[in-house]
Amino acid sequence: MKRKWLGTFLSSFVVIMLMLMPPAQAGNVCFKCHKRANFKARVVHKPVSDGRCDVCHSPHVAKYKGLLREQTAALCYSCHRREAALFRKGVVHEPVYQGKCLSCHVPHASDQKGLIKKTLADDCFGCHKGMPRKFKHTHKPYSQGRCIVCHRPHHGDNQQLLTKGPDALCRSCHGEAALKRVHRDYPVPIGGCLSCHNPHGSNRRALIRNVLHSPYKKGCSGCHKGKSGIVTTEVCFGCHGPVKKEMLRTHSHLTSRTGNSCMNCHFPHTGDAKTLLRGNQGQICRTCHQGTFERYKESPSRHPDIDHCTSCHEPHGSRHLAMLKGNGNDVCIRCHEDQGKFTHPVGPNVLDPRTGQMVTCSTCHNPMGTRFKYQLIRDGKKDLCILCHQAY
Amino acid sequence: MKQNMDKAMRLKLIISALLFLLLSLDAGQSLARSPWQWNLALKQTKIRDAMVMPTALFIDREKGHYYVVDSGKNRLLSFDRTGKLLHILTAGKALDIPFDMVRTGDGGLWVVEKGKNSLSYIDLKARKVTPHTLYYNGELIFPDRIEYVQGILYVLDKASGDIISYDMSLRPIGRFSCGKCPGGFVDFKLYGNSIWALDLLQKMIYVFDPKGDINKTIPLGKEVSFPVSVAVGPSGYIYILDRHQGTVAVYDRNGGFKYHFLSAGIAQGQLYFPIEIRFDPWGRLCVVDEGNGRVEVFSR
Repeated sequence: MKRKWLGTFLSSFVVIMLMLMPPAQAGNVCFKCHKRANFKARVVHKPVSDGRCDVCHSPHVAKYKGLLREQTAALCYSCHRREAALFRKGVVHEPVYQGKCLSCHVPHASDQKGLIKKTLADDCFGCHKGMPRKFKHTHKPYSQGRCIVCHRPHHGDNQQLLTKGPDALCRSCHGEAALKRVHRDYPVPIGGCLSCHNPHGSNRRALIRNVLHSPYKKGCSGCHKGKSGIVTTEVCFGCHGPVKKEMLRTHSHLTSRTGNSCMNCHFPHTGDAKTLLRGNQGQICRTCHQGTFERYKESPSRHPDIDHCTSCHEPHGSRHLAMLKGNGNDVCIRCHEDQGKFTHPVGPNVLDPRTGQMVTCSTCHNPMGTRFKYQLIRDGKKDLCILCHQAY
Repeated sequence: MKQNMDKAMRLKLIISALLFLLLSLDAGQSLARSPWQWNLALKQTKIRDAMVMPTALFIDREKGHYYVVDSGKNRLLSFDRTGKLLHILTAGKALDIPFDMVRTGDGGLWVVEKGKNSLSYIDLKARKVTPHTLYYNGELIFPDRIEYVQGILYVLDKASGDIISYDMSLRPIGRFSCGKCPGGFVDFKLYGNSIWALDLLQKMIYVFDPKGDINKTIPLGKEVSFPVSVAVGPSGYIYILDRHQGTVAVYDRNGGFKYHFLSAGIAQGQLYFPIEIRFDPWGRLCVVDEGNGRVEVFSR
């Protein structure tokens, strides 16, 4: 009887120990073919150092490339659960949103902290190709490739993924005394740093943005008049007459609680280009139209190159729906020339019998994204056509 | 054997009854979600004369008439309660992008003309249009939405997003502002003694008392994507028009979300870039459907 109990105890002990023991052998087996040296670097991913290749890879068959057990993001988040929850909040960096962790990280080993692929800057510039690596005058953290001094890599509460508000961020390195010294005759409290300075670099000293607004070149009094010195939209219209006409259309972006609608999108003093825009179009439009961008991002079929919103939309004002540059045909046929000539009848003489509105490209397509091929609003095989042609 | 058959029959009956109950419950819930049914459309019957980008609706309670602002064709159209077209007013082609309008006690029309940046008075008897530029403490105002009650014109300034009240001589009386909200208001309605104003960017309703103090705020949450217009129903329920989704979101008096109804599209009862929502004095819900060139009227 005693022997029987001892046997049961021992076999249970062996089973439990086997269950608890990490299958380090999995790694050892893998390294018989896969050179161990390729998985060594200053920083090694924990499952790799533990020889737990099987955490991510299936040894025999798998649905995913590299014998991965899951798609990349799902696999990463199966361990990094805290990040999975965190990276859904606020503004999410595009590769993170798309679950492309490997855009910046390597899965096995790296000489960089955080398993960064190359250097941090190389990773960033790998996507942000339009940004120069160097300016005539370059901000020190930028020249050092330390983007994360100012930006968060995964998610944030602002479009630029800044770690703090712009002014607070500048002040975290540039102390009050130094700021006062270099802004000696500044007529108002020092702030709104990005209104004049490019935080990355510039051709001008002190990172002053390259293009100066012409009245600013001459001084402040051209625009800042009266006791308050407040510059209203009307002041801008004084020089930019055609913009006023555009703003006085059915739909416009004439809106601002600060008293100047122009400042929603433009810097008043300096800019990186002639338009003095506050950033690229996508960034600017997103500040108010976040929902539109999200719907676009989630749509399986969508028009490419959406970051150039002004290709199709009027930025100031329009007499067309969705503030388009023309009716739903004019805008499209500038690029889609053939469709403008040979297509389903469209134009001012073709009216929708249900509404009396002109049939246009946008009657059937929604370039901002739909579930259906060619951004059709319904399935093009039948459902779309019978919306109008019910007798067929 | 017979017992087994009886059991099977009983089981079938119970399952059928349960299924029926479930289905009828679901149907009941769907009905409960939206009691609104399409009633009529205010539009031109000849499609060649269709409205283009109608932007606003005004209802004359005494006459029982609807007035629709046809911004695309620079005209105002009036309809009776059955949706029959009564008149088309072009004011001698003097209107330049009319956007909103009210009819005052003297029978005249106040029309927001975007193209002139003016609040114009149309004297119907004298057949005269008089444009007025509005100011508030020297600041130029850009009229957008307009409401009228008891000798006071309430005008939404598009540039600041504030609502400004004027007497009939267009002297400013008061200002209704949301303080530090980033974009200001995009629409407002008068309900009882209160002003209900909609903040698009923050997705928030502000309720003002006549003095301009904020009585309460109602967050709309994620139920709306691009809210452009607000209406308060006879029972105090809040109706929010979502331009991008083509839907109406309904909230109770305390701001609790109740249900969505309508959908985006071109067919009858569907919306394409709708712009304004308003109750008529007879309890019907009217939606100005800018993209489809009509006003859809729904009743319970």
